[in-house]
Amino acid sequence: MRVLKIHPEKCTGCLRCELACSYTQTGTFQPAKSVIRVSPFEGHTSYAPYTCTQCAEGWCMTACPVGAITINAAGAKDVLDDTCVGCKLCTIACPYGTMFYDPDTRKAFKCNLCGGAPACAEACPTAAITYEETATLDWLGDFAHERTARVLVGGRGSAS
Amino acid sequence: MATRHLIIGGGTAGINAMRTIREEESTRSEITLVSAERPYSRMVLPYYLDRSIAESHVFTATAKVLADWGVKTHLGRRAAALDAKASVCTLDDGAKVEYDDCLIATGSSAVRAPVPGADGPGVHSFWTLDEARGVIAAIKPGSHVVMVGAGFIAFTILNSILSLGATLTIVELAPRILPRMIDDTGAKLVEDWLTKHGVTIRTGARLARIEDTKGRKRLRFAGASDIACDVVIMATGIKTNLDWLKGAGVTINRGIVVDDRLRSSVPNVYAAGDVAEGRDLISGKGDVHAIEPTAQEHGRVVGSNMAGKDVRYRGSLIINIVEVCHLDVASFGAWDDNRADAAAGLRADRPAYRKLLFSGDRLTGAIILGRSGDIWTSNDVGMLKGLVQTGVALGRFKEHLKKHPFDVKPAFIASRTTHTLLPETILGRPSKAPGDTPVAV
Ligand SMILES: Cc1cc2nc3c(=O)[nH]c(=O)nc-3n(C[C@H](O)[C@H](O)[C@H](O)COP(=O)(O)OP(=O)(O)OC[C@H]3O[C@@H](n4cnc5c(N)ncnc54)[C@H](O)[C@@H]3O)c2cc1C
Ligand code: SF4
Ligand code: SF4
Repeated sequence: MRVLKIHPEKCTGCLRCELACSYTQTGTFQPAKSVIRVSPFEGHTSYAPYTCTQCAEGWCMTACPVGAITINAAGAKDVLDDTCVGCKLCTIACPYGTMFYDPDTRKAFKCNLCGGAPACAEACPTAAITYEETATLDWLGDFAHERTARVLVGGRGSAS
Repeated sequence: MATRHLIIGGGTAGINAMRTIREEESTRSEITLVSAERPYSRMVLPYYLDRSIAESHVFTATAKVLADWGVKTHLGRRAAALDAKASVCTLDDGAKVEYDDCLIATGSSAVRAPVPGADGPGVHSFWTLDEARGVIAAIKPGSHVVMVGAGFIAFTILNSILSLGATLTIVELAPRILPRMIDDTGAKLVEDWLTKHGVTIRTGARLARIEDTKGRKRLRFAGASDIACDVVIMATGIKTNLDWLKGAGVTINRGIVVDDRLRSSVPNVYAAGDVAEGRDLISGKGDVHAIEPTAQEHGRVVGSNMAGKDVRYRGSLIINIVEVCHLDVASFGAWDDNRADAAAGLRADRPAYRKLLFSGDRLTGAIILGRSGDIWTSNDVGMLKGLVQTGVALGRFKEHLKKHPFDVKPAFIASRTTHTLLPETILGRPSKAPGDTPVAV
């Protein structure tokens, strides 16, 4: 399956992926409705995007009481709007924190890989997000571990 | 001869078990379902109550789906007795069903406060589809509804009641609301929020009786003024549907005691969902959770084991979320462990509260309250679940979380929680989409 591979060291924090995502998913440029999220590290000196891993368990999908989450042609877990009742069980079942809820539509929403042509990967000017045939890994863990540790040592937390 | 599986109870756990049997088996087995009700999801009933969905939406497996799965059904029938030695179940119409293995997934029922008048007209429970129909017929715009009990289930239908244009009063025996879901600080915040949104709350209220006066209901209390209203809903607790199993030789404590394969004390009898006392992921001890995700996971593990796989279950995590008037309230795991090392954060400017509980450098429980749709609230809800579920060693990020309980994401990512989570599955393989169950040929 093709997945979103994140290359955090290439991210400049320009947020184009968030804009592209919200536009493709909702038709409006609203980063608040993006399902890929750029986070700052090291006191805003580095950034990395974070989104659904399309995990093997699909905790969101197996938790849904009405079968509103399915697997689309791209292999992504996808919410069927007409079936979703907005109970939010998926938002609390996804242990990655990548299920969202829209209070306007009262539906859950998530990354569906744009059905096989992810807008974020296309929009990223530095190729920090690529769409590739590869196994999903923890793309950000080491990167964040190193950088967050520096910040903690630098005084915000009491590192020990 | 094909293996004969008997599923007793067609709710969440039973449906998940049947679907998983069909997904996992290598040779076709016989499945018989005995269920007092047609298969539907109870937790979807609040959305039927506020009419955001049609009644047909609550059903989880229609007659056609059951036929596609090749399930022989006894719907509207109850299991009345189990002869575990002979592997025979007797139904309430006298029919007998023989099995090679069986699943008990009969769920729970609502119980009402033991006061005079609790069974009178205009007094409802909200647990089954039938009861939901009763409440739907009773509530009219402008009705005054009194909810007796301020627990999780009561809260799942608050929004619906308000959206029907009813006024709502909540009465609770305990000194505070949501006693088994959040701590005192969280409860106070929710109580203030609800009061601000026009809900009347009376805590520490001992209901004495319910009377009829001029077509309305009158609730009388010990040491407090009466309340007159149109509709009373009793959300005063539930009990497991296990009375029929007395004397069957299956060990029952608070629920049916099960091992890590969800087997009861009788090896070819499994139990799942609200009736099962299974392993709690955090405490490692047996517990009855009575929540949807536990019923789903139990059901799938049983289905896989019935189909001949050998799946051991790590245990279930308590996860609860409810929204009231656009405020999200969620708790996880051992949120009420008063021996835990805890840190809390309360925002002064808006309704936002966090409590994180640690054992060593692992997160074992959390409470989170925040405005609905606040995207960062949603993100943190999932990440806190991930931290509790994996129990990753947080190391120095524990101190960070204790100081900054609203800054979960860096700790989650930098603790390589994703790395720990990625290989985790319940059945030891990727999950299938709900519609992908193999059908009978
Ligand atoms: C209004 C409401 C809201 C809820 N909201 C949430 C929520 O937001 N989150 C959450 O986690 N949980 C929620 N729950 C709880 C959740 O619905 C239950 O935990 C879940 O349904 C348990 O699944 P189960 O399979 O164990 O039992 P059930 O789904 O209750 O199924 C039991 C089945 O067994 C049948 N049965 C009973 N006795 C017999 C018998 N003797 N013979 C044959 N069949 C029998 C019943 O008719 C039923 O079909 C809610 C429940 C209600 C009522
Ligand atoms: S939203 Fe969460 S649970 Fe669902 S597939 Fe993505 S990572 Fe997995
Ligand atoms: S919010 Fe929608 S998609 Fe998520 S679990 Fe509930 S019904 Fe399913």
